[in-house]
Amino acid sequence: MEIMRLVVTGPVGAGKSTFIRSVSEIAVVDTDRRATDETALLKQKTTVAFDFGRLSFGPEMALHLYGTPGQSRFDFMWDILIQKAHAYILLVAAHRPSEFIDARRIRAFMRQRSAVPMIIGLTHTDCPEAWDLENAAIALGYLSATRRPPIITVDPTETASVAQAVIALVQHSMQDCLV
Amino acid sequence: MAVTGYLSEFSLAEIFNFLEQGNKTGLLTLCTLADTQTEKRENHYIWFNQGRIVAAANRLDQHGLAYMIDQRGWMGEHTALRIAQTCAATTPIGLSLKTQGLLTVEQLKLLFYTQVMRQVCSLFALKDSWFQFDGKAPLPFAEMTGLNAPATEVTLAALRVLKDWSALTSKLPEPSSAIMSVITGKPQQKLDQTEWCLWEFANGTLALQAIAQQLQLPLVKVQQVAFRLVTAGLVEEVPLVVATPAALKSEPLPVETPATEATTVSHSFLHHLVGFLKNKT
Repeated sequence: MEIMRLVVTGPVGAGKSTFIRSVSEIAVVDTDRRATDETALLKQKTTVAFDFGRLSFGPEMALHLYGTPGQSRFDFMWDILIQKAHAYILLVAAHRPSEFIDARRIRAFMRQRSAVPMIIGLTHTDCPEAWDLENAAIALGYLSATRRPPIITVDPTETASVAQAVIALVQHSMQDCLV
Repeated sequence: MAVTGYLSEFSLAEIFNFLEQGNKTGLLTLCTLADTQTEKRENHYIWFNQGRIVAAANRLDQHGLAYMIDQRGWMGEHTALRIAQTCAATTPIGLSLKTQGLLTVEQLKLLFYTQVMRQVCSLFALKDSWFQFDGKAPLPFAEMTGLNAPATEVTLAALRVLKDWSALTSKLPEPSSAIMSVITGKPQQKLDQTEWCLWEFANGTLALQAIAQQLQLPLVKVQQVAFRLVTAGLVEEVPLVVATPAALKSEPLPVETPATEATTVSHSFLHHLVGFLKNKT
């Protein structure tokens, strides 16, 4: 069985669980629990361990999707997920600039532990207060359009949009000599 | 598209970092929220040219600098404005007055310090305000001394003297995080002694709480200095894995993960996957 493991990460409320649900062929293994801290201001439930989804596309081929915990407590779970990943997508809500700093923290954490290919998926770009792609890129610390990972917009609620995002990540992985 | 938000979401230090790193030109407007007792709102305006602050005022009529010159008794406000009108439309009024021998370099420096450094630094104490950056706003030449300062240099100066950090508490690096340099070589900015001390630890290995112990400084002080270095674009916060309670470690994972390290996947696999996903788009 050949398996590719993709990690879906990002600050709380960026759309990680929804992203995986939109494309998984199985009911996502749900570790969401009622949020009890400041996360409750954004959503009623948050992922406490990780989400897991699967996509089989042949008798011996499958894509596994792992969503990181929403809260930024970087524990052993994060380490396990990133060490096993072939690539990851960092989801960032474009309408919540308060979370750009969390996204940068997550990226720094990931970068220090793994050199696997990554792309950034901007979510909630249809909100009136959303930052546009170029400004969001600068706020995330990418100053040069030619020296940054691919940045795409994605709607985690739409299967087609999520599929497009995964294609972008896989194609970026191919360029990065994954094999 | 305008960049807007609230300082409670995106702090002034982060905004300045964004504007400098993005080499932005335009006008940043800060509008304080209405005072519950007086219902008063205040507007503050800061102009940027390629990421550097060139002017600041609490009015948009471009009379602020002329008023300051008048206040110091160096020249009447109307005279200064009249002279400015006779100069090139794209020359800062300060430079025009200096060229004509009406103001000295030292006087311009004093004006810039009062107009920009002192005025803008005080804005870092704002609890909450709405902000908007307009990248299409023209430069206010009648409000400009001709001097400028990098936005992050103003941030460093402001945060060094900031007394009340309550508005920035949620922005401070975590005690369990390390810091890592994002520049090549040493910082070009003038750092103070504590900043230099912390800079020596900018290799992403030691948590801030451990650094605080080594430097014998209060943890919150170290977090504040680390935040200064982050917003100055010198380092980034790198979370370290927090210690896990023994009880959690023994719990089985909800999904079985392969015991082996990540192995590669074949080109054929990737091509099949892309083909399969294209059917879903």
